[in-house]
Amino acid sequence: MSNEFLALGIIFAFIFITTIVGMLPGMREKLNLEGWAIGGRGFGRWLSWFILAGEIYTAFAFLGASGWAYARGGPTFYILGYGALAYVVGYYLLPKISPIGKKFGLMTQPDLVQHIYDSKLLGILTAIIGVLFLLPYLQLQLTGLGIIIQTCSYGLFTKVPAMLIAFTLVAIFVYLSGLKGVASTAVIKDVVMIVAVVFFGLYLPFHFFGNVGNMFEALDAAKPGFLTLPGPTKVLDSSWVMSTLVLTSLGFYMWPHFSANSFSAKGPEVLRHNAVFLPLYQICLLFPMLIGFTALLIIPGLSNPDMSFMLMVQKVFPGWALGLVGGAGALACMIPASDLILNTSMIFTRNIYCRGFNPKADHAHQKFVARIVVFIITATALCLAIFAPNLLVNLLLVGYSGVTQFFPMIVLGLFWKKATKVASFCGLIVGEILVVYLIFNKLDPISILGFHLNAGFFALTVNMIIFVVVSFLTSSKENIARKEQRLIT
Amino acid sequence: MKTLKLVLTLIPFCWTILMIPFVNRVKPIVLGLPFLAFWLVAGIFVAFICLSIIYKIDTKNPNQ
Repeated sequence: MSNEFLALGIIFAFIFITTIVGMLPGMREKLNLEGWAIGGRGFGRWLSWFILAGEIYTAFAFLGASGWAYARGGPTFYILGYGALAYVVGYYLLPKISPIGKKFGLMTQPDLVQHIYDSKLLGILTAIIGVLFLLPYLQLQLTGLGIIIQTCSYGLFTKVPAMLIAFTLVAIFVYLSGLKGVASTAVIKDVVMIVAVVFFGLYLPFHFFGNVGNMFEALDAAKPGFLTLPGPTKVLDSSWVMSTLVLTSLGFYMWPHFSANSFSAKGPEVLRHNAVFLPLYQICLLFPMLIGFTALLIIPGLSNPDMSFMLMVQKVFPGWALGLVGGAGALACMIPASDLILNTSMIFTRNIYCRGFNPKADHAHQKFVARIVVFIITATALCLAIFAPNLLVNLLLVGYSGVTQFFPMIVLGLFWKKATKVASFCGLIVGEILVVYLIFNKLDPISILGFHLNAGFFALTVNMIIFVVVSFLTSSKENIARKEQRLIT
Repeated sequence: MKTLKLVLTLIPFCWTILMIPFVNRVKPIVLGLPFLAFWLVAGIFVAFICLSIIYKIDTKNPNQ
């Protein structure tokens, strides 16, 4: 059989088997809305670990990290730094959220915001912003899948028809199984993906250079300065990396889908235990970078650096091996995508549709709307991927800059009694306007006093200052008393 | 105990973020990695160790 059919056949087999496995938990029991969306709050240590980890290692880890290593060199290493720090933040944050969610029946991040500040409007605003910034992240997954199919078909397929097929499957998969399906397939995805990245990340440098150290020596000799900051770029220097690390480690748990995932855990103890072991998982991000660096020496001059991982495998291995990598990569795109779609549709239904337009909708009707929204969101992200393509890392950083603006409102709201509703509105609106303004005017990174700062970091700083000042101005005794009631569990 | 927890929480951040300007170099190559990459990978283990100790402290004193 020819290489392209073998490779594509293996990918579709992967997707098909995973879809079946994902459907099983949904078929065995009839799920209500809570069961469909947050797994009935019954996830123990390992299932919860896998769903948290499974959400993190996405198309970005697989293709984006190698693409960035290929194009940008040294600044790529920031990716190694933020994950572990984010789990330190999560160690304190998630166990605080989870019991409040359980006690007051919260399911989504806007639910949480609405609950903390007793403001329906703030909840709706959070929901709208959350959905908007989840779209580039979902687009990232679709773009990744497009790249995989394109490479594995050896030019036979353009990415558009292949993406259409795969995402019809994802939508069906989300529709049938809900979060339990995502969790059980996340286990398969993680195992396959770790094996693939570790194997190829080590094999390729060893194959061409004898070992990893030699590969880096050769790269350093060929392109002096490439492996340090700012590498081949002018602006991605130490101050950019430091500000981006602050942004991404604080913003990590501000993604709307992470609240739902922490609500799905059995209790705070599960989340604390997970946070201890999750950093180790972060080492897996090193291996795709090794592939990107090797690719730069072996196949220089790629027009799309995000393709470097797949093209290296294609160059060295026959079609069946490319199919295995493609299958692992496809799962790394699809499973996080399902989780994202699921949570976005939940947020849209509960927090925008019901709270905003139809407060009397019963559970059956909500579930019906949620399932229609699944298709609408998938289609929107698909259109974005086709008509507004972008490098994977840019999509990731845009999403991060946007969702991190929730940080003062949510985290200070949970831990600081003086935080007020008015302060949240002011900080959030100013932060988001700054992010959008800076990104659309290509001022990211923004240069201040000779330092290059991540635009999202700059916006977060302004947001935080406004939040604290306005909170001091508007805080009252009754406000503090009401807050104590809502946060003590 | 509270101070110890605070210190353990801050160590990973200092290691990974504050040290960036000082570890921004290729040589020496450690374990096959350029020094900057090695430092950040080591930061992952630092975070793991710090969190493990914090977790131990927390489980010993569940009310803290």
